[in-house]
Amino acid sequence: MTEKLATILILMPFVSAVCCYLIRSVRLRSWVVLVTGVLLIAGALLLIPLTPFTFAAGSLAGLSIRHIVSAADFLLLFVILYFGFKHRSIIIKMLSVFQILLLAYLEFFSVKGIAAAGTIYCDQLSMTMVLIVALVGSIICFQAIPYMQNHETHLKLEKSRQNRFFAVMILFLGAMNGLVLSNDLMFFYFFFEVTTLCSFLLIGHDRTETAVKNAVRALWMNSLGGAAFIAALTVIFSQTAHLDLYRILLDADPANRIFLLSLALLCLAAFTKSAQFPFQSWLLGAMVAPTPVSALLHSSTMVNVGVYLVIRLAPAFRQTFLSHSVAFFGAFTFLAAAALAVGQSNGKKVLAYSTISNLGLIFACAGLNSPQAITAGILLLIFHAIIKALLFLCVGSIEQHIASRDIEDMRGLYAVMPVTALITVMGVIMMIMPPFGVIISKWMAIEAAASDFFIIILIAPGSALTVMYWARWGGILMSDPFAGRFKAEVQPVLTWTALGLLCLGAAILSIGAPWLYQWVIAPAESDFYLLDYTSRGGILENVVGIFPVFPLGLVAVLGFVIAIWAVKKAAGARVVAPYLSGVQTAEPGVFTGPMNTPTKAEAKNYYLASIFGEDKLTTWINLAAGVLLTLVIGGAL
Amino acid sequence: MINSLVMVIAGLAAGPALGGVISGLDRILTARLQARIGPPVWQPYFDVLKLFGKEKMVVNVWQAFCAYCYVAASSIALVLFFLQSDLLLILFVQAVGALFLVIGAFSSTSPFSQIGAHRELLQILSYEPLLVLVTVGIYLETGSFKIQAVYGGDAPLLLKLPFLFVVLGYALTIKLRKSPFDLSTCHHAHQELVKGLLTDFSGPFLALTEIGHWYEVVLLLGLCSLFWATSWGGMIIIVVITYLLEVLIDNVSARMNWRWMLGYVWSMGLALSMVNLVWLYAR
Repeated sequence: MTEKLATILILMPFVSAVCCYLIRSVRLRSWVVLVTGVLLIAGALLLIPLTPFTFAAGSLAGLSIRHIVSAADFLLLFVILYFGFKHRSIIIKMLSVFQILLLAYLEFFSVKGIAAAGTIYCDQLSMTMVLIVALVGSIICFQAIPYMQNHETHLKLEKSRQNRFFAVMILFLGAMNGLVLSNDLMFFYFFFEVTTLCSFLLIGHDRTETAVKNAVRALWMNSLGGAAFIAALTVIFSQTAHLDLYRILLDADPANRIFLLSLALLCLAAFTKSAQFPFQSWLLGAMVAPTPVSALLHSSTMVNVGVYLVIRLAPAFRQTFLSHSVAFFGAFTFLAAAALAVGQSNGKKVLAYSTISNLGLIFACAGLNSPQAITAGILLLIFHAIIKALLFLCVGSIEQHIASRDIEDMRGLYAVMPVTALITVMGVIMMIMPPFGVIISKWMAIEAAASDFFIIILIAPGSALTVMYWARWGGILMSDPFAGRFKAEVQPVLTWTALGLLCLGAAILSIGAPWLYQWVIAPAESDFYLLDYTSRGGILENVVGIFPVFPLGLVAVLGFVIAIWAVKKAAGARVVAPYLSGVQTAEPGVFTGPMNTPTKAEAKNYYLASIFGEDKLTTWINLAAGVLLTLVIGGAL
Repeated sequence: MINSLVMVIAGLAAGPALGGVISGLDRILTARLQARIGPPVWQPYFDVLKLFGKEKMVVNVWQAFCAYCYVAASSIALVLFFLQSDLLLILFVQAVGALFLVIGAFSSTSPFSQIGAHRELLQILSYEPLLVLVTVGIYLETGSFKIQAVYGGDAPLLLKLPFLFVVLGYALTIKLRKSPFDLSTCHHAHQELVKGLLTDFSGPFLALTEIGHWYEVVLLLGLCSLFWATSWGGMIIIVVITYLLEVLIDNVSARMNWRWMLGYVWSMGLALSMVNLVWLYAR
């Protein structure tokens, strides 16, 4: 049963991807995408009661799967090398040759096809990731169906390229499932590289000059991660003589410097995937792609690889200098990315920096490496994935509607597309307010970090900056004078389904966070950590803190109902024009200016570009991050 | 159970009961410092009651939503304080109220409201990290973020956290909307933006924002009282002295701009917190 389900989760997307690529009929292809998504979700849900499990990969059509994967691995690297030649990128060529050589050394001289006892291992952590990939990833693919129709109508393409697009999107989900379920690090590495290639293909999808440039950048940065990964594998195998991830964690010896160095290299690989400074530019560049791509990269797939890897490895480097430096690096990224987000008026850039920032916090949690911090990290991973997907899809819909992604142009969006505006505000609120999940995890993270001076001193200002850039955005969406009665805008059913499911899902999971902890997160860490929190009656509590999630959620719902009732009542109140010093004209927002000329009153957001502008900060932040990265790698030695 | 119920009711009542009186005393004291007689101590209640009697007028119905959310969040924060809950959680809940006030101001297109809202955000940005660091200091001293641990201590926190108390003072001055930090709105039009953040709130909704503010003031003074929580007398004295100092500072300083506020509060506040925290870590 487990083997069949795992096959559905990993292999079926590969098959569906081929189908998507070959099918020319839009209707038929949409059905393939929908069916694949539904099967993925069903497979993931059915797998829940069977977790944890492990099994060895057998053979496919008479060939050992282990050998198929190594052949595919070489093929993949040669494809990347081909792209290196095609785009004349010396770095990509060098990195892929380096990887091919190391892989050849590993496959022919050192590992020689030895497979780990359990190729596939699924515990609650992997299960959580599979659920995120299956649910959030599929929902994004569903929304992509109407989105891409619009997108291509807008671009006036002669020949639709959607078949390629959906093939890669679906392939990505399969690769992610494979990655999080792999226990044999050679398999892990293969899927790691597949995600690199997929992201390259998706970012360059529109084939504009910028798209190609940004895709190539993404490819070389992630190839660097791949190179670090396979270098780490070589070192690990030389120390342990196997590549069985679970055994590596169990037998980890933090006193072994060389082993620790390999973990540091894996952390480096994780940082590139999760676009931490100084590798942020590939993720920022990724926003040239159609929005579902950004949604997929930022929430359920690509960037999660990095944080998943480090959370997975965390028990192996507990109480080492490496752990401290990873925590410091993460906390620094959290603060720096939040600062850069404050300086942005481009909605997608704000989202991108916020992703980098939140992932930084997850890395900080993994580095703090206490049960409390790991819980915070996993919780944040879950909630960030859902809400970030939601916000990206919202911005995508908004962009197709108003032809702009600038926050300033979203002023008074409520008058134009009320439901999307409301859902976006809801997403923003879930990012910064209790009792929602992100804040629950932030609360845990701060309490876990409180005993570490260097970390808390970075996290405290970082979280204040986070509040600033979200509140500013959420506020202006509702900013037009408005009284009662709204008319919902028209959107495709799939878009509404996607937005509604993500929004509701995040809200319900937030209120249910204590149970989420009890049933999912606690078992996920219990192998390596003593459990810290107790969850009783919807209240999360440990020695140092208490968060009555469920009671507070109930009170919040009550408050919300009262406030909505107030809105209903206020709809009957007299509606007046905004105050303009008593000289407003009959036209809204216009006042009688000097010389009796009608003048439009305007106010724009503070972006504090003189302090938080990219041109002011990026160089210094990259420099500092480079130094910290040296600390992470060098400190392991 | 009965005990917590009493505490919930006490928390809900304490906001308007104490907050209004404090506001009244503040106005008398400020008037005396300015050689005026000032209004009667019950004046804030009369003001609020009068506002409730006014016609409902809105620029945007979401203002009503935000005003209610502001009161709800700030009263929940105070109730959590009375229930001796988690300090960090209380800060987060309090921030919800502050943010809804900002969002309410954003929902009007008037430049006065908009700029007021931005200034308020900058104020939040200035004091938020400081409040977090104060709770971290309390945690390091008592071993818990829960308020009950503070009451369990046998020596006043002020002796161990003197600098963090000063830092809390910065946050308190900003939250009380006192000079030199009265940038977004205040009673004296120092912000030079009509009523800034609150420009387009009127009638009953303005009354609600006033009540929400009372809850916030009582909560912050409650935080101050934790610094001498070993006796009732100590708690009262520390709060009274702090508040007198606040009124004095308000009357002897001018309103500054946000650049100065952010630079000054972050540099001084973070430096003081760091020094104090290093003591605690080094122990």
